Amino acid sequence: MDNKELAERLREIAGKDYVLTSDMDRMLYSYDASLEKAIPDVVVLPNSTEEVSKIMSLAYREKIPILGRGSGTNLTGGSIPVKGGIVVHFSRMNRILEIDIPNRTATVEPGVITLDLQTEVLKKGFIYQPDPASQKVSTIGGNIAENSGGPHCLKYGVTSNHILGLEVVLNDGTVIWTGGKSRDNPGYDLAGLFVGSEGTLGLVTKAILKLERAPETIKTMLAIYETIEDGANTVSAIIAEGIVPATLEMMDNPVMRAVEETIKVGYPLDAAAVLIIELDGMPEGMDEKAQKIMEICKQNNVREVKLAKDDAERDLLWAGRKGAFGAVGQVRPSYLCCDGTVPRTKLPEVLNKVMDISKKYDVPIGNVFHAGDGNLHPLIMFDERNKDELKRVLKASTDILKACVDVGGTISGEHGVGLEKLKETSFIFCENDIEFERHIKKAFDPDDFINPGKMIPEPVCEQ
Amino acid sequence: MNIVQLRKLSYDEVAKCNKCGFCLPSCPTYLVMKEEAYSPRGRNAITRFAIENKLKLSEDTERSIFSCLGCGACTAVCLSSVKTKDIIFQNRECEVDEGFYPKIIDRLVRTLEGSRNISDDDNEDRAEWLELIKDFPEDAFEKEHAEILFFVGCVASFFPMVQRIPANMAKILQNAGVDFTILGGDEWCCGFPLIGAGMPEKLEQMKEHNLKKVADVGAKTVVFTCPSCYHTWKHFYKTDVRLMHASQLIAELIKDKRLTLKKEVNLTATYHDPCDLGRNSGVFEEPREVVKAVPGLNFVELPQNRMLSVCCGGGGNVEMTDPDLTAQVAQMKLDSIKDVGAQMVVTACQQCVRTMQTRAKRTKSDLVVKDLTDLVVEAME
Ligand SMILES: Cc1cc2nc3c(=O)[nH]c(=O)nc-3n(C[C@H](O)[C@H](O)[C@H](O)COP(=O)(O)OP(=O)(O)OC[C@H]3O[C@@H](n4cnc5c(N)ncnc54)[C@H](O)[C@@H]3O)c2cc1C
Ligand code: SF4
Ligand code: SF4
Repeated sequence: MDNKELAERLREIAGKDYVLTSDMDRMLYSYDASLEKAIPDVVVLPNSTEEVSKIMSLAYREKIPILGRGSGTNLTGGSIPVKGGIVVHFSRMNRILEIDIPNRTATVEPGVITLDLQTEVLKKGFIYQPDPASQKVSTIGGNIAENSGGPHCLKYGVTSNHILGLEVVLNDGTVIWTGGKSRDNPGYDLAGLFVGSEGTLGLVTKAILKLERAPETIKTMLAIYETIEDGANTVSAIIAEGIVPATLEMMDNPVMRAVEETIKVGYPLDAAAVLIIELDGMPEGMDEKAQKIMEICKQNNVREVKLAKDDAERDLLWAGRKGAFGAVGQVRPSYLCCDGTVPRTKLPEVLNKVMDISKKYDVPIGNVFHAGDGNLHPLIMFDERNKDELKRVLKASTDILKACVDVGGTISGEHGVGLEKLKETSFIFCENDIEFERHIKKAFDPDDFINPGKMIPEPVCEQ
Repeated sequence: MNIVQLRKLSYDEVAKCNKCGFCLPSCPTYLVMKEEAYSPRGRNAITRFAIENKLKLSEDTERSIFSCLGCGACTAVCLSSVKTKDIIFQNRECEVDEGFYPKIIDRLVRTLEGSRNISDDDNEDRAEWLELIKDFPEDAFEKEHAEILFFVGCVASFFPMVQRIPANMAKILQNAGVDFTILGGDEWCCGFPLIGAGMPEKLEQMKEHNLKKVADVGAKTVVFTCPSCYHTWKHFYKTDVRLMHASQLIAELIKDKRLTLKKEVNLTATYHDPCDLGRNSGVFEEPREVVKAVPGLNFVELPQNRMLSVCCGGGGNVEMTDPDLTAQVAQMKLDSIKDVGAQMVVTACQQCVRTMQTRAKRTKSDLVVKDLTDLVVEAME
């Protein structure tokens, strides 16, 4: 089937206004927030599960590559159509179908923006916990595919801990439900398998999410350090004490400087690093816990601990943290985020290594990350247009991930593998591990046309 | 402008866009159309692809680039502070050069160059609105010299739906005993529509003429009810004369006790920040001070206000090139106003008034849409 006919078929399914074929439109779906690029043959914007099912079975019959797209904010090339074909943009399927307070669930379409849902449920006193820094633009579908996390996942877990059920369109267009409103379901945990599968097994068309009561009290502290090591040691000490704060985020000096260029948070620009520590829950015992944390900070040479005095101050601290990635654009136009994870106690060691790598390749690197989870996000800053610099950046990124793995860590905390980290999967998986993943993929998609080329590296030698 | 010039002017700026997508949910045209082509990130990508010779300008790029409202919401939320609106308007100059622009713009330019206003009426009819205030002494306006010059602007001069705004302003100034005048047929369009049309160079003659007229009148201050005229003068006319938006002058008059608002207005009201007054010129507080000075009024803020205010849909010449898009953006605005329980929306711009009032009428909504000057006159009388 040629592209013209393909577009014609898709128009019959989704309506003529919702199929995009011009050179310009196709190029506008050739990128996401990563550095990868590839142009699809056609883009379609469906409005219902039925339409998605028809689109999928068309792709199945014709063996045309297909992938889903939320807001295109993933950082590893997940929504890049490396083999061309169809991009399914879920922007129109953005309805919150039900908020069921007695059962503490929300049922949504995949194109719902994470923060839009959070704002709606908060009006009723509830929270949908996963809070990636990109929550104001990322979609639930994207969050599910990438198993996204955020600052509050230290205490509450990542997206997979908040998905109760999924409606999925399988390779031949069949629509299935896995899981549901009840918290315990017989059979394989297929929903668990789909979460984090980077859109390679099927297209999610509905999701039932878990809601939790909004905490009665929140205390947010900013701890300021003269050295990164002291900050990192504080993190381990707090956890060792048996306290699990809602968040334990770290930001170093270069990132604070970049943030202050756009958002005037008032971060201490002469400090080496800060921790944003948040406690939430019942008011009882909260003060004692905060006291204890302050003591631990002091034992680890903190310069000062500031308590946010109201919601406005708290919001500002978080606006700075959540804007940090974008803000490094003030320093250099492009950035690459290395999403490695290490055991908490290894943080100081790895952060030192990151600095060495920065010097070795002569590229500036800033750090802002989920310290409590040991999930690093070194941001390498550069100019994509400078090819030599780009080469050095890619090498630095590989070295950083290697450094994480060397101390017993892994190559991805929450941004997935996508295209950008295919090579690095060999740092953590042996051939058997990867081969088993290939079997799973084959079971769902024997023809390899659903988001092909992602997450699982091709065998080194076919046959 | 050609691509080479565009490259020189915009390449470094557009390269700062790292495609994070944080601007998507703030862009009214993306929220309505839900396609990348109608997003700030998409528009930046087009400019970048064009500069890198990967994409030719075409009717498609025209559709994307000319549907931008110029509201500036994208830059307000962009952590890299990419000046997306400016890049888009520079791209427009290129599109115009290559013939890709809505042809209705040709008529606009011909009209502007012919009759010196946007509506193709005889420019002598600029002060038609004076008929709304017949009881005023004849010589009160069009004096040869005055302290303050009231620059009326094309829309309020010629569109019957909003001619009441200059009439209001005249009443307010008269009431406060301000020595002012208007230019009548000697006022020319400020040139603002030419910037959005991708032909900023044509603005020069308008600017020269208008500045000369200010000098003739000897005015120390020029006051505008139109935020876009105000913004254009502030950013493109290099002049030492004090430039004020009506809301600023009115707030000052209230503070100096030259104007008192006595009559109660017993409604729940919100304020809509016009893009060119708020985000693009930095005037946020004075209009709010005036609204809050009205006795009886219960004031509520929209959740997205000041720097984050959502455009009414009337910006960027889009009302002329894609009225349907304007209508849908206006509907979003009205919905958000209803959500905070406001019975009335006050704004400080004739274009916002027109867009919102038209939409409210069409959907039979009972929302009251008022310009700040409407409210002041009501509370003053
Ligand atoms: C500045 C910035 C900060 C970020 N911060 C964080 C962070 O703190 N934590 C974090 O985890 N991530 C973060 N991210 C990464 C990104 O926002 C997340 O991965 C997010 O979940 C992607 O959502 P999206 O809607 O943009 O999906 P997309 O990028 O469009 O797609 C992501 C993947 O999901 C698949 N997909 C989308 N919809 C569907 C569907 N309906 N069915 C099946 N597959 C689908 C796509 O094929 C693709 O593989 C950040 C990104 C940026 C740019
Ligand atoms: S314009 Fe700014 S906010 Fe929008 S995608 Fe580019 S960098 Fe991100
Ligand atoms: S100026 Fe307004 S309409 Fe134009 S791209 Fe930015 S947010 Fe969208």
